[in-house]
Amino acid sequence: MRTRNNLIAKLLISGSLLTLLAAGALGIQSAAADRAAGPVEAASPLHPTFALLDENGVNVLESGEPVSTMQTCGQCHDAEFITSHSFHADLGLSGITAAGETQSGRAWDTGPGFFGKWNPLTYRYLSLPGDERLDLGTPEWLMTYGADIVGGGPAVNSREGRPLASLAPSRTNPETSLVNETGNVEAWSWSQSGTMEMDCFLCHLPQPNNAVRTASIQAGDFRSASTATLVGSGLVEQTADGWAWNAEAFAENGELKPEFVTIQDPANENCAQCHEMAHAGGDPLVITGMTWQTAATGQVVSSQRISASGMNLADKAAAARSWDIHAERQLNCVDCHFSLNNPVHYTANPETSPSHLIYDPRRLDFGEYLQRPSHNFARGQSAEDTVAPELKGTMRRCESCHDVSDHASWLPYLDRHVAVLACETCHIPQLYAPSIQSNDWTVVTLEGQANLAYRGIELADATVELASAGAAVPPTVNNLVTGYQPVLLQRQNVDGDTLLAPYNLVTSFYWVYDDANGNTRPVRLLDLEAAWLENGGYAPEVLSAFDANSDGALSQNELVLDTSEKQTLIASRLQALGLGNVRIVGEVQPYSINHNVTNSDFAVSDCQTCHGEGSRLTQSIQLADQAPAGVIPQFVKDTNVTISGEIVQDENGGLVYRPVPRNDSVYIFGNSRVNWIDWFGALAFLGTLAGVGGHGTLRYVSSLRRPKREAKVKKVYMYEAYERFWHWLQTVSIVFLLFTGLIIHRPDIFGAFSFRYMVTIHNVLAAILAVNAALSLFWHSVSGEIQQYVPRPRGFFDDAILQAKYYLRGIFKREPHPFQKMKDRKLNPLQQATYFGLLNVLLPLQGLTGILMWGVQRWPEISNLFGGLPVLAPIHSLFAWLFGAFIVGHVYLTTTGATPLEGINAMVTGWEEVEEHAEDESADDGEITELTQGE
Amino acid sequence: MKNRKNLWILGLLGILLVIVIPLAVFWPRTVQAADDPWAYVPQHPIHTSHSDIVTGPLEDGQFETPQQVTQACLECHEDAADEVMHTTHWTWESQPFDVPWRDEPVTIGKANQINNFCISAQGNQKSCTSCHIGYGWQETEAYDFTASDNVDCLVCHAQAGYFKGTYGNPGEGVDLLAAARSVASPTRENCGNCHFDGGGGNGVKHGDLDETLKYPTEQLDVHMGGLDFICTDCHTTEAHAVKGRLVVDNYQINPTEQVACTDCHIETPHDDERINIHTASVACQACHIPEFAVKDPTKMTWDWSTAGQDIGDDHYTYLKIKGDFVYEKDVIPTYTWFNGNLDYRYLLGDKIDPSQPTMINLPAGSIEDPNAKIFPFKVHIARQPYDIVNNYILAPITSGTDGYWTNFDWDQAFELAVPITGLKYSGQYGFTETWMYWPITHMVQPKENALQCDACHSDNGRFDWQALGYPGDPIEWGGRFDNK
Repeated sequence: MRTRNNLIAKLLISGSLLTLLAAGALGIQSAAADRAAGPVEAASPLHPTFALLDENGVNVLESGEPVSTMQTCGQCHDAEFITSHSFHADLGLSGITAAGETQSGRAWDTGPGFFGKWNPLTYRYLSLPGDERLDLGTPEWLMTYGADIVGGGPAVNSREGRPLASLAPSRTNPETSLVNETGNVEAWSWSQSGTMEMDCFLCHLPQPNNAVRTASIQAGDFRSASTATLVGSGLVEQTADGWAWNAEAFAENGELKPEFVTIQDPANENCAQCHEMAHAGGDPLVITGMTWQTAATGQVVSSQRISASGMNLADKAAAARSWDIHAERQLNCVDCHFSLNNPVHYTANPETSPSHLIYDPRRLDFGEYLQRPSHNFARGQSAEDTVAPELKGTMRRCESCHDVSDHASWLPYLDRHVAVLACETCHIPQLYAPSIQSNDWTVVTLEGQANLAYRGIELADATVELASAGAAVPPTVNNLVTGYQPVLLQRQNVDGDTLLAPYNLVTSFYWVYDDANGNTRPVRLLDLEAAWLENGGYAPEVLSAFDANSDGALSQNELVLDTSEKQTLIASRLQALGLGNVRIVGEVQPYSINHNVTNSDFAVSDCQTCHGEGSRLTQSIQLADQAPAGVIPQFVKDTNVTISGEIVQDENGGLVYRPVPRNDSVYIFGNSRVNWIDWFGALAFLGTLAGVGGHGTLRYVSSLRRPKREAKVKKVYMYEAYERFWHWLQTVSIVFLLFTGLIIHRPDIFGAFSFRYMVTIHNVLAAILAVNAALSLFWHSVSGEIQQYVPRPRGFFDDAILQAKYYLRGIFKREPHPFQKMKDRKLNPLQQATYFGLLNVLLPLQGLTGILMWGVQRWPEISNLFGGLPVLAPIHSLFAWLFGAFIVGHVYLTTTGATPLEGINAMVTGWEEVEEHAEDESADDGEITELTQGE
Repeated sequence: MKNRKNLWILGLLGILLVIVIPLAVFWPRTVQAADDPWAYVPQHPIHTSHSDIVTGPLEDGQFETPQQVTQACLECHEDAADEVMHTTHWTWESQPFDVPWRDEPVTIGKANQINNFCISAQGNQKSCTSCHIGYGWQETEAYDFTASDNVDCLVCHAQAGYFKGTYGNPGEGVDLLAAARSVASPTRENCGNCHFDGGGGNGVKHGDLDETLKYPTEQLDVHMGGLDFICTDCHTTEAHAVKGRLVVDNYQINPTEQVACTDCHIETPHDDERINIHTASVACQACHIPEFAVKDPTKMTWDWSTAGQDIGDDHYTYLKIKGDFVYEKDVIPTYTWFNGNLDYRYLLGDKIDPSQPTMINLPAGSIEDPNAKIFPFKVHIARQPYDIVNNYILAPITSGTDGYWTNFDWDQAFELAVPITGLKYSGQYGFTETWMYWPITHMVQPKENALQCDACHSDNGRFDWQALGYPGDPIEWGGRFDNK
């Protein structure tokens, strides 16, 4: 039998068992001071005693045969119901389709689960009928991955649903054959080996012995797997000829003695055997091996403070937070991933229950539940797990337990943030353990491993050598564990919502070939090793091509197909083995990050983390430090993640994924901008500035040459008090709106200002401006003053040209203004046109876009009707620039009055000295007053 | 006209108001900082150097007797001795208490009662009174508690070269003038000389008070190490009456005389609501002092019955004069309900049941007592001598020429005590187990080191919920104020 050479096998021996033992060994003093530290394995307080039966229903003590869980547990529980309601048992067997028809799109995938769906991290794949070359027949698939397989499902039944034991051994059927040590295909007799029943003990005993169990599976003794799990419990010992049941553990009636009945609810440690590393107790946490999800994401389930870890963590003291707040709060895995018919957690689906009913008290009672507990567990919607898609989203999510509306009040636009961000995005800002970054199977190490690279850890030199030798890299004290920040991707939720959520990306490269039957398959590890290795070392031809430093060994950095020559060499060696059309494929698998949540103290709470240059939303993530030349990996197809970013090559030949929020129609204040609008706006603004600067200079120069014209002036009460109040209030609002708007637009330039406060000021000022504008519209309408703003069609263009000519020519000659400014005709034709545009187009549109942008929080549907932020925000920015330009021109033109400051003075005091046009007598309508009289 | 012309100022004000008022209304509110503990930390008085003030009666300005120093102090600080003489530092006994198991009111203190360390100060004044703030307390004669000259100002105030010898008198070779001229407000050293070494050596007695507090790090004590507190910052003093009462030598304590975390901190200072609801039932100390004796070990058990053997002395395990000890470090406290008072205090002459451990003191409180909280204690367990016939604990004379520490003769040690304690000795003694509950309240840790949920709420948690009166872990079964 080939030795197990997959990642899980290397990683699985986790510290959890050790942890349990250690926790038990710690005597902990308690309230009574004399309370003795009890044994960890206390007898189950609830579970009754029972007999252990073999597969024929005979007491094992009598028969000496391996125990059968289906028979034993089936005495009371409905074992058939349990196995048929368990995706852990099924592993996708029930969703098996023809090869290549799965969502993953891989030609050799036949299902959504562990059974039938290939994982490049573990590499070995389940061969299909009709494959030219056999990689894993079903028996060897079980042997290879058995440590992570609970039994039942494909360990008992064939793809057609027949019992495996009923299949006749055949070398041509991948379900009943395997490749033996000599490399030849050999038939497998399931009836001889027995099949692997669902192993209840693995999850329901405090200390299941998965090591002995795994060894038993690897040896092909599937029938004994459940029995092996019991080794060490005092029930059974392994002997040379089989199993020796300990009579001491059994009572006279053949049932176990109560103290040997330790059946329990699954504890975190049970789940941790296959999933994420779990750690309890006071011993400093050290990742000694890496279980599946910990390796792929860096997630660790522990209540301990990260700062108390025994690992060499960067800036450790600052991480005075627990690894996982829910573990800290004493939640267990099964509290969230509960059995779906557990009456404690069950809630009716609101979509299928009557709308008037809030709570339906009719539910399973505990007896019914215990007899037929569904082993389909509530699950989230992770990107990587595609098994049992119908159960995705059955788990309660953050907001099912936490009241989002009670979120800390510092976060404005709460509804908006919650509508676009998963809670995890801010509450899992950082992973503190290393995780896999890339996995290169185009090469192979002497141990038959891929070139595996981690992120979140700085390897000491010695460890780099170790890694090149194929060992998984545990974070030993030699390596500095830095952790990493996950990348944010758009997650398509089951309910149709799209939320930004954190992910790790694992990139894999591997060879595929087309076999004689036209099937595309990954190059078997056997063939890969044959192409690379000879006599336990690298083939001389390979070594000379790859050994850059000529030290006779290939280090991690040398093991890469970074030139086409190297690719050609390996391809030709693979072809020499009879593989057709060999080529390299790269794929990127997103891994969801939902654990290692932290509370507000360590969550993202700085606006500029996202709203600014280098926003978290645009933060890229390294896919691979080195990659086969010319291969751009593709994201896997069967995830619920939208990939809208770009994969780019960095200068060192590595690959980087860079999110592009714009492609998802995401507009982030302070980060997103439309460049041409800013350029255009800035040009308009600066152009106006330059224009008035030039005009002003010319005026000044010409004034030096020409003596001041003696014009007859008179003092006119030009602006009512309300007009002035209205005007200046508008001035202050607009100036500060522009200023705060600019800061919100470019917070990176104005780091001194708080983004949060600027947003508040901007909103309040906008409201003031709107009210002020509305009131003044009312005043102008009622007082009739509004007529001044309406250009009169007749002669308007002539007048406008007259006024323009004045600004272009007359003003330099100190000619009088073409139109006398009067209380009831303050505006010259050009002003009328400008204000007409300003007040009818610019101001309302600016207000409307502003309100709609604000409304993204309140009435997103309406705002989205207008294109949402990606459309509204750039328009708002453009108009802001135009407002800025207007202010420059407007302020400048106020200086064209009788004296440069007269205009402004008039807007302050109301009284303006205006040129008196002798010929314009109609203007003299009694408004000329003696200064002493006042208004 | 002039007024009209300045109308614009009014307008400007109006505009500002129109803008500022809405801004103020909508300004983001940050969580109000209700907890301002610094507001309650006393200012240290400005030090007045006494080097030019104090002079003794001798020609070279020296003092002949320590009493002369006290007289010199009293010249200016007229009321000082009188104030001191009203404190337990001087009287060595509490106010009188009515206790249910005695007809007469009783006082409790070193002056008249025992503990389960060196057992009794009565008759052993020679060494014990080195921690009494008076001079010349002899076994042989009744001490004059009204002699103000005997108040030892220096032990608390001298900063240079002062130490105590026997009978509370200054040690050999003390330069009284130098000591008197160095006086200042009491420092950690002054308090620590007695309180850090209680029980006869560093860290013996308390577990949360030892000499490491003289130069503490933040990790040892967040107040004294991290914030450079001194003892009197919390144990504030008025007219020489120091705030803070040790429950061990009291029965009921007036809360106004006690030091509490809430003297400076608010009752619910945590950001997390769930932690705040703990404060109704869990004392601050329970989470914020996860272990005691974090740097130097403390004595956890003391077996007097093995004393007197020549088997080789070791400070931490066995002394011929004292018997066997166990010292421990990083000890997880014992937790029990505590309302600040005692349920019971052993008084000399109280009958015991020698088959059961005798509680020298027992904290009062239970899950039913709304004023009680779960509080951490060091439980010191001893085996100490008792009278087999009379069934009461014996107070041996250990020091002195005929004391146990000289002759190693228990009978003689008990006989010598008879005239002092007034308790008869039957001539037959045995050893019985006694427990003493010492509250753990010093060496508060930085918040990063405070206990987390799982310390108590987990399968291997440090609380025995049922012993505390809960049906089970309140995280599942509900707390004592919940309807579950």
